[in-house]
Amino acid sequence: MKRAEPNRLVSLMVDNLIWLFVIGAFIAFSLLSDRFLSPYNLGNILLRSAAFGMLVLSQAYTFITGNFDLSVESTLGLAAMFAALMLVTTEAGGLGWQLHPLLVILLMLVLGGFIGLFNGVLITKVGVNNLLVTIAMLFVLRGATYGISPGTSISFFPKEFTWLGGGTLARIVTDNGNFVLSVAGIFVILAFLVGHIHTRYTQFGRNMYAVGADADAARAAGINVDRVVIIVYIIAGVCAAFAGLLQAGRLNAATPTMGANLIFAVHGAAIIGGMSIYGGRGNIIGAFGGVLLWSILDTGLNIMGVSPFWIDVSRGLLLLFAVLLDALRVRYQHNVQVRLALADTTVGLDDKDQDYG
Amino acid sequence: MAETRTSQHSDEILLDMRGISKSYPGVQALEDADFSVRRGEIHGLVGKNGAGKSTLMGVLMGIREADSGTIAIEGETLRHASPQTMLDAGISYVPQHINLLNTLTVAENILVGNLPKNRFGLVDWKAVNEDSQARLSRLGLKLDVRQLVEGLSVAERTMLAIAKALFNNARLIILDEPTAALTRVDIDLLFSFVRAQQQQGVAFIYISHHLEEVFEICDRVTVMRDGRIVGTRAIDEIDVPGLVHMMVGGGVKEYERDSTAGREVVFEASNLSRRGAYEDVNFALRQGEVVGISGLQGSGVDELAQGLFGLERLGVGEVYVGGDAYRPDSPKAAFEAGVAYLPQDRHRYGLIQLRSVRENVTYSVLDRLVGRLGVLLRKDEHELTEEYIDKLGIVTPGPEQRTLLLSGGNQQKVVFAKLAATQPTVLILHEPTQGVDVQAKVDIFNIINDLSTQGVATMIISSEVRELIGLCDRIFVMCGGRITREFSRAADDMKPEDILLAIEGGPLDADA
Repeated sequence: MKRAEPNRLVSLMVDNLIWLFVIGAFIAFSLLSDRFLSPYNLGNILLRSAAFGMLVLSQAYTFITGNFDLSVESTLGLAAMFAALMLVTTEAGGLGWQLHPLLVILLMLVLGGFIGLFNGVLITKVGVNNLLVTIAMLFVLRGATYGISPGTSISFFPKEFTWLGGGTLARIVTDNGNFVLSVAGIFVILAFLVGHIHTRYTQFGRNMYAVGADADAARAAGINVDRVVIIVYIIAGVCAAFAGLLQAGRLNAATPTMGANLIFAVHGAAIIGGMSIYGGRGNIIGAFGGVLLWSILDTGLNIMGVSPFWIDVSRGLLLLFAVLLDALRVRYQHNVQVRLALADTTVGLDDKDQDYG
Repeated sequence: MAETRTSQHSDEILLDMRGISKSYPGVQALEDADFSVRRGEIHGLVGKNGAGKSTLMGVLMGIREADSGTIAIEGETLRHASPQTMLDAGISYVPQHINLLNTLTVAENILVGNLPKNRFGLVDWKAVNEDSQARLSRLGLKLDVRQLVEGLSVAERTMLAIAKALFNNARLIILDEPTAALTRVDIDLLFSFVRAQQQQGVAFIYISHHLEEVFEICDRVTVMRDGRIVGTRAIDEIDVPGLVHMMVGGGVKEYERDSTAGREVVFEASNLSRRGAYEDVNFALRQGEVVGISGLQGSGVDELAQGLFGLERLGVGEVYVGGDAYRPDSPKAAFEAGVAYLPQDRHRYGLIQLRSVRENVTYSVLDRLVGRLGVLLRKDEHELTEEYIDKLGIVTPGPEQRTLLLSGGNQQKVVFAKLAATQPTVLILHEPTQGVDVQAKVDIFNIINDLSTQGVATMIISSEVRELIGLCDRIFVMCGGRITREFSRAADDMKPEDILLAIEGGPLDADA
């Protein structure tokens, strides 16, 4: 079909716009500040946004099915606090159990999974609106985090616990400073890679897209829509718990406010990465681009000494831009349909005759 | 079409429905209907809206349970008709608005839920594309399987939906108004595809309002009217007028009113055109006149109605209301110019269902009911509401009743009350009797009559031809975006058969 070609090329660009932005932002900051390209800073970009990245991954999963989970930022906080309590001595603010770090990591991931299961069941089986359920959980979990915390931050974790979030794989010494290859940075890249393979190359992942594209049509194709959505919420919960692990590990501390107010930035990054809250669109690699753009902007502006207030303004504008882009994308795709329909009425006669005889 | 019919339908009965009856509270939707389809035939099913076609098909698909009757497929009577058993029996439905996964590729739509995997259990995209491409070419369908469904034309989507049904071993496919949104080129495309599948022994039930197409593609045709099967004919044994006669029946007019048309023209359009919707539309409505416009979906009549009320672009040309130039940019502008509109889908546009009768009646005229400091005059508001409840005979426990809880007919009266309260010069009614019972219909006709007696010029867009004949002074027929015929009470030529024929685009008058 000849007439579909230009459409596909433009669509490809529209779908991968994020990488143009990432490259553009990278070049712009490199030109604006000589410190941006320093080895130390490059190593830092991913490390600092590792937890954020895991939250974006969790939202990418829910977005593909046409859902979202506002409560993941609170799951992050609760999981971290929950782990901290079981890890450290009573003097340091914990319960004094001092459980084995690997067991604690396992328990916090299970906790995240259970929170996701609870959200998913309420949304699918009980039929409560996903906005209401996850807003309610946002408050419940954050409140619970404060409730179980000793009122202050808890710190001094065992090495095994902080390795994933704060560990270093390699350190390359250069004249310009040190390039640090962080465990967290590699972990986030791997997590997105696994997410990409899972959503693109497994039956379950494709079922997620089908559910997001049209739940009724997916149901008609024999897909268990409720099951897909519940599992996606569980995955989102586990990702959020991982985010808690990374954050607590990097800071070597857990505070009751960890993760608070992150969720809309997370949505912004996912949407600018090509995901759509209407479901069935975008991909995990694009969402990773969203994470990169967000943290490049953050570090770049920081290095340039822009005041935190204006960084907030720029974040807000980026978010607004992302939402606008999403709307324009949907409108563009709609227009393409209309244009094709119109084109059918006037041109394309020759094409058709050749094609169908 | 001069093409020779090459269908290989045998006389072998594929589907046999006998004595199907179905009633809803107050309505006998199906009465003792017998319907059968032969293997490899294309069987037309025609009838006006509400004739029972969708109920009959609902029973066939297992989504509606018949009160009585039997369904047999290849001689085997089905004991229990659920959607799954009917699918298993090879019966598939392709709706007018096709349900596909729009944001995904054609290939994924074909293989959804069962994608080919490589030895690691991961989706093998190469195999997905090749496999689905091969399946499509076996059906003679040339589509690029890698493109997104949202980039396909409507005809291509319809063919894809048919193909999907065939991949699921469908033997009988119900096509519901498949050509409503198609151009002639696309119709040819679709028809040649359907015929090719027919050659392979697949049977189709073809539901359409476009009778010419029924004659073009069907082997036999069954006509329904008022929940009954009027008859089944081989296509070469009947012509369009004969079919129309079967559809309309010999019934009398449902309602009769006297003309109240004055002399002064209050609503006039000249050379109104909107690309892709309608062309060169001219009309002039006099004070108190009732004019009907009828046309099939796609004839431009719906777009015209919405354009005249500012819900869509009106296009080029001139419109005058009460002598003043009229350019509706929005419904608000239309209201202010004295044009009121009763939308086709009252649940979406006509009523705020969660709010009370009072609020619904007065929300368009609240600016007339404000006193000093912008505070609403509750007393005036109540009086106005009571006045219209009384005048239109709205059956409600009181003005504070939520409109959601009223019957369809009474909801429609509330919408009328809202429109009447604006004291319009022109009233545009879009399918005003859709979904209301017989008694409420008569009430609505009386309301229309009352308003026209008061001098309101009324334009009724409706597919209920016999209702139009009873109500209207004149009836316009739209076809292919143009007003192609005008019937009038004065000329005494408002015959249901002629009007239906004109709607369907049948032979035009020499002077038309």
